[in-house]
Amino acid sequence: MTPDSELSRGPGPAATPPAIAVDQGGRVRLRERETYKTLFVNPWTYTTGAVVLALLNVVLLLATGKAWGVTTSLTYWGAWAWRWLGGQPQHWRYFAEIKPAFNRPGFDFLADAGSLTNVGIVLGALLAALLANQFRVKKLKAKRQIVAAVAGGLLMGFGARLAFGCNIGAMFTAIPALSLHGWVFLVSIFAGAAVGSRLLLRYFV
Amino acid sequence: MSERILDCLGEACPIPLIRTQKALVDLAVGDVLVVQVDHSCAVKNVPEWASKVGHNYEVDEIDDGQWEIVIEKVH
Amino acid sequence: MPATETPLPSARRIARIAPARKERANQLPYALVLLAVAAAVAYELVVRRESPVSGFVWIVGIALGLAMQRSRFCFTAAMRDPLLTGSTSLTKAVIVGLAVATAGFAAAQFGAFSKAGQFADAMKLSSLDPVGLHTVVGGVLFGIGAVIAGGCATGTLMRAGEGFVQQWLALPFFVVGSAAGAASYPLWKAALFVDPKRVVYLPKALGGFGLALVLQFGLLLAAWLAADWWGKRKATIH
Repeated sequence: MTPDSELSRGPGPAATPPAIAVDQGGRVRLRERETYKTLFVNPWTYTTGAVVLALLNVVLLLATGKAWGVTTSLTYWGAWAWRWLGGQPQHWRYFAEIKPAFNRPGFDFLADAGSLTNVGIVLGALLAALLANQFRVKKLKAKRQIVAAVAGGLLMGFGARLAFGCNIGAMFTAIPALSLHGWVFLVSIFAGAAVGSRLLLRYFV
Repeated sequence: MSERILDCLGEACPIPLIRTQKALVDLAVGDVLVVQVDHSCAVKNVPEWASKVGHNYEVDEIDDGQWEIVIEKVH
Repeated sequence: MPATETPLPSARRIARIAPARKERANQLPYALVLLAVAAAVAYELVVRRESPVSGFVWIVGIALGLAMQRSRFCFTAAMRDPLLTGSTSLTKAVIVGLAVATAGFAAAQFGAFSKAGQFADAMKLSSLDPVGLHTVVGGVLFGIGAVIAGGCATGTLMRAGEGFVQQWLALPFFVVGSAAGAASYPLWKAALFVDPKRVVYLPKALGGFGLALVLQFGLLLAAWLAADWWGKRKATIH
């Protein structure tokens, strides 16, 4: 009885299961097909992933005139939630000076490209996991994970506003877009990651 | 040649790798460490580190989204 | 598909008691349901809202999530692992991605510039944001948060989709932090000397696309070589 190994025999052609595996019930087992496995079950290389992400970003720019970003839309989500709770985010100076799109008539969730890509990413990741039969809910194991999630989330949200972007908007998009703030942000997040690693080892392992 | 189980289920990356590194220090040469993970990053970065340092390893997918990374301490 | 980065393990199987195999349910039906949901949203965008571009953006978003999950991509690991574990495989991959995107973006921007020889036309296709002390402070805070939370902006989204409850928790607080940052803008604008007009478009600042691109590709190459050298050093143990 051999285990269903993901990596133990290396990628692609080294594995020898048949191209189409038909089980006793006569059903074609999709997961065993080499093409399906290569595309959806075995992991892609990091470089493949990076190139695909970069090309998709270029495609976004060509199709919409705006490149990929994540956190501006998260800011909109927060502002819309605040408005639902009774607040008046439309009066924030931030939207007047920095993101006037927020106050454009008819601007809503489905009209915001960033909101669409954000939800798309969640869905795409879920889809990828399901197609590989690898989806699983990973519940919290320790209280420190709650602290990590809350503190980390707040820091990232706030930090991304200060820098006018995140690892995508202020780095993966900004640097290729030839904006200086991308390089400054890149160096800064490395420094932050160094500090974060110290904290991680000290309090969160 | 003993086998030790390291339960890293539910841990965020890079915790499984850090724990693996620490655990291997305590093992004798020839011992086997079985790292249980459900984090997709760990399935890549733990074997990568193990191979870099020179240990033998295998990865078994034992359930949906759950793996066992088996590392044999070589030195 | 190109060969995996992870080298092949030993040919001899490690002697151990093999774990019991569980009966596994097929997740493919759920995937198909999800695809139907995605198609429904696409229909809403393309047909009911008459915005094919929005429909396209939606599909691209799904493709982004799929690509990241499939390749186990992690920007956080790219910046954290060089110091924490000595690994630079993700760092190098990010650099390659930056180079590919630079080529594509530059082509688009130069094309726009060439119409009338105006940088302003190219800048419309760029993602120019103010730069200053606030960028550094923001970046440091972001880096700390990403490593602690176990994922950056895309990492949080991706892992939320993969079922990590920790990221289900991180995401709403990410949203709260973002809104709080926007709401408090007047405070930190003054404290960190933010000038919304202080954007630096490298081709304009350096006097041409040629110089800017040579510099950028040069820096990326240098970074890749440095990461490659660093990654080949002995693995760090903590």
